[in-house]
Amino acid sequence: MQRSFIARNPSVLIFLALLALFTLVVTVLSEGAGAGFISTSFIKTLGKTLCLCLIAVAMDLIWGFAGILSLGHFAFFGLGGYMIGMWLMYERTRLIVVESLSQTELPPTDAEVIDAIGTQIFGVVGSSDFPLIWAFADSLVLQLALVVLVPGVLALIFGWLAFRSRVTGVYLSILTQAMTLALALYLFQNDSGLRGNNGLSGLQNLPGVTASQDIVSLWFLWASAFALGAGYFLAAWVVSGKFGSVIRGIRDNEARVRFLGYSVEAYKLALFTLTACLAAIAGALYYPQAGIINPAEIAPIASIYLAVWVAIGGRGRLYGAVIGAAFVSLLSTWFTGGQAPDLPLGSYTVKWVDWWLVLLGVSFVLVTLFAPKGIGGLFDLIPTKKGAEE
Amino acid sequence: MRHIYVAIWTLAALLLSCVSLSAQTADSTAIQPLLQQHQAVISKSSRKTIGPAIDAIAASGLPQAQQVLQVWAAKDMWMRKSDGHFFIGEKVEGKTYRLTDFDSGDVVGEFQKGDLKQLKPNSGIRALIATALVQFQLTDPDPAARADALQSIARDPSADQLAPLRASINGEADAALAAQKLRLERLLTIRFGASDAERIGAIEDMAGDLGVDLRATLNPVVATVREAAPALPDANIAKTLTIGEDITSTDAYALLVAAKLAPAPVSDDAIRTALADHMDGGRVGDVPVAQLSDPAQRLKAYAGLADAGKVAPLVSEADIAQALASHVIYDRYLDPSPAVTAAAAKSLKGIEVKVALNQTLDLGLDALSLASIYFLAAIGLAITFGVMGVINMAHGEFIMMGAYTGYVVQQIVPDHTLSILIAIPTAFAVTFAAGVAMERLVIRHLYARPLETLLATFGISIALQQLAKNIFGTQARPLTAPGWLDGAWVMNDVVSISYIRIAIFVLALIFLAVFLFIMKRTRLGLDTRAVTQNPAMAAQMGINPGRVNMLTFGLGSGIAGVAGVAIGLFAKVTSELGSDYIVQSFMTVVVGGVGNIWGTLAGAALIGFLQKGIEWLNPSNTLAAQTYMIIFIIIFIQFRPRGIIALKGRAAGD
Repeated sequence: MQRSFIARNPSVLIFLALLALFTLVVTVLSEGAGAGFISTSFIKTLGKTLCLCLIAVAMDLIWGFAGILSLGHFAFFGLGGYMIGMWLMYERTRLIVVESLSQTELPPTDAEVIDAIGTQIFGVVGSSDFPLIWAFADSLVLQLALVVLVPGVLALIFGWLAFRSRVTGVYLSILTQAMTLALALYLFQNDSGLRGNNGLSGLQNLPGVTASQDIVSLWFLWASAFALGAGYFLAAWVVSGKFGSVIRGIRDNEARVRFLGYSVEAYKLALFTLTACLAAIAGALYYPQAGIINPAEIAPIASIYLAVWVAIGGRGRLYGAVIGAAFVSLLSTWFTGGQAPDLPLGSYTVKWVDWWLVLLGVSFVLVTLFAPKGIGGLFDLIPTKKGAEE
Repeated sequence: MRHIYVAIWTLAALLLSCVSLSAQTADSTAIQPLLQQHQAVISKSSRKTIGPAIDAIAASGLPQAQQVLQVWAAKDMWMRKSDGHFFIGEKVEGKTYRLTDFDSGDVVGEFQKGDLKQLKPNSGIRALIATALVQFQLTDPDPAARADALQSIARDPSADQLAPLRASINGEADAALAAQKLRLERLLTIRFGASDAERIGAIEDMAGDLGVDLRATLNPVVATVREAAPALPDANIAKTLTIGEDITSTDAYALLVAAKLAPAPVSDDAIRTALADHMDGGRVGDVPVAQLSDPAQRLKAYAGLADAGKVAPLVSEADIAQALASHVIYDRYLDPSPAVTAAAAKSLKGIEVKVALNQTLDLGLDALSLASIYFLAAIGLAITFGVMGVINMAHGEFIMMGAYTGYVVQQIVPDHTLSILIAIPTAFAVTFAAGVAMERLVIRHLYARPLETLLATFGISIALQQLAKNIFGTQARPLTAPGWLDGAWVMNDVVSISYIRIAIFVLALIFLAVFLFIMKRTRLGLDTRAVTQNPAMAAQMGINPGRVNMLTFGLGSGIAGVAGVAIGLFAKVTSELGSDYIVQSFMTVVVGGVGNIWGTLAGAALIGFLQKGIEWLNPSNTLAAQTYMIIFIIIFIQFRPRGIIALKGRAAGD
């Protein structure tokens, strides 16, 4: 008789428990709801890090388990952010406009309200008309659906085109990179309908919510933790069953799996789309905490950093991706935020703001060369009765 | 009676003496008498009356005339109050001025300012004087002065320049200037010619000419203005417009309103203001204010106000339709002569066809130079990626290193030609060394794992980029091209190409030749091909695969460095220089077909021409052009996954 999924994967339970514990401790220590040891801005950093962990899990699914090195998952992340950002910006602007128009003598007509919102939002790009893509921006439910649908459909179309013509390996990587570059360049235009390089801003203010940012940041922390937990659970479940066996088979020998009669393309496509949706959800939670999204976020470099996190954390194990994303992105924040102490070297002082990227690049090369299992590989050193997990 | 006779005789004698006086002055070479004839007008200095005086001076044919006009315009002409004579005034000291005679050039003496009057022509008069001076400048003995005069006429042509210009053509000794004068005369005739026949003649003379100046002359001739009237007036009508096809009814009605032929429509804003002004006890008319968020209720309330005569009545759709039906909308030529406008329009049409052809040629040259840039950036990759199969994401950083090497060399060697000649081998050496080091330290260990090569080289790329930023800062560094590469090869006003782009095209050809030579004619090339196809077999034959890989990778990197020097000449040298080209370079290689230099060439050509083509369709937006190009490439890969020129058989490998 098959043992249950949880029993076969104790690491999932451990991870979820640690995540819950982490969230609880942070909440208790937070400025908004507890002892006040952790500032609101750091709560936001932690919440954002959880979102980055979620996209890292998605990346690990597609790269670590299926061997598809996608250099375009931040495009889906950014699109998710844009979709939720459209609603946040529309609704908040609408409330402000209605408030200010209620001061006038005549009650405003609907057309006047929409016109004023359009002027507010698109004034920076010299327009006041709503582009077609904002058609659903007034509805939270529809826009939430679009968070998953738009990146999902994009991934489906792109994946179908790419996998169908058997583009594999580095070619696929370059193609995904081209996709994210094309999207970023498109969004940089002023007439893309998403405010060009101004991006969407003011997303940290939830429309209609009067609670302070101290509290709102905790909500988002919980939401991000929940999303990460659910995403992790889903990913672990996906890779533990037959589906997981097939995609691992594709990673190790695609031709053999195809000859066994599996539709390799369908499996790849399903996984690619699933991970795109996960990335989009992560983005939709990330950008309200960041407060602003612009096309630079989608630049190819972001997706490559994602690969860096997963590689440093350890590919092919989900907790490795989480550790890598959390470790590197927090370290990066610490170094580039100017908090790291400078390192005096006689006549030259190493300023970490300048040298962090050099350190990251070099350590990345070293990890690739000498520790292909990444940080997660350290767990293999713990002796267990049943041998290594997975 | 006698008295009358005496008076007549006296008068006749007076007249006679006057005539003899004027005859005497006309014969002489002095200009002062002429000035005295117009003394009153000149000293009055009024724009309205000064014309005949200036014309008389200009037409006098005296050598002093030009000097007089110049001195006058420069406000250096003074009048002696005692006799009203004019002189060149020059301040000696305090209020003492030295006067010089125009005719003799002798100093007349020094006078107090109180005895003199300075002539201060206003800007209107100075403009008239400047026009009069044109004829002198056009016949100036100095060719540079004549060229300046022609330029100033071409910049700001006016009708009265035509006559002096024509007069100056015959005496022109300089062939080039004579040609310029003839051309300018034709252009001025088109605009200001006295008769239609003369203007049409000039238009036909110039037919098919590509000059921008001709188009700038013809376009105002065919300029139209859009008007509305109850009936078609008797004027030079270009076109009668059909509402709905040529013009929207809203725009057409706006024309009627502008011509005061119809009442202005009441805008939504006006309605709102009117309603707000007539609010009375929470109601407007009989509509409660709370209901006014509904547009229909607003109209109703406004109609109520209009019926009560408090506001202007609404203009209904029917009113607009009726107003439009009873008027014609037409484009009218500003030029009154139909024959001239027809000839100009026909001539412009002919020119447009020629211009379009030449623009296509120009676009082709642009695309060719863009393709050479992509080819330059990609050719190093064609070796490391195409031949060896190594994904080197730091390729762009090698390009950047080459550009910075050029910059550093230029700091040491100030002569631009020499520094470029030194920079090219130096850049090759630097990036060759960097490539060899990278191959030995990193890539060698990853030949079996291409995805990890991609990541490791990406780590190197991040580190190198930041290193460059730390050393050279974030601002762009100049890499200046030698002087002989400045400027452009101009075929006509439409087609031109800068020398730098030609140089890059030539460099790309040289690279292609070098690549082919090394791969097909040298031992290294043979070894490389052998090692790429089957390393184990090659090793059996006595080839050292490690050494060959090292040298080949170094060669690819070195070529990237030289490309960097070339790219740095026209692009900004920053730490991001390489990353701007890396995706396009990979695209070029992948689209062209991996492992084949002709494929890379075809890929660069395809991408270059495609991007320019898309930019031409949408010139305002190069970002969109890049987006569409990448989408096109993604789709292109669908149909030819192995690129334009795909290797077949065993060589395809993978």
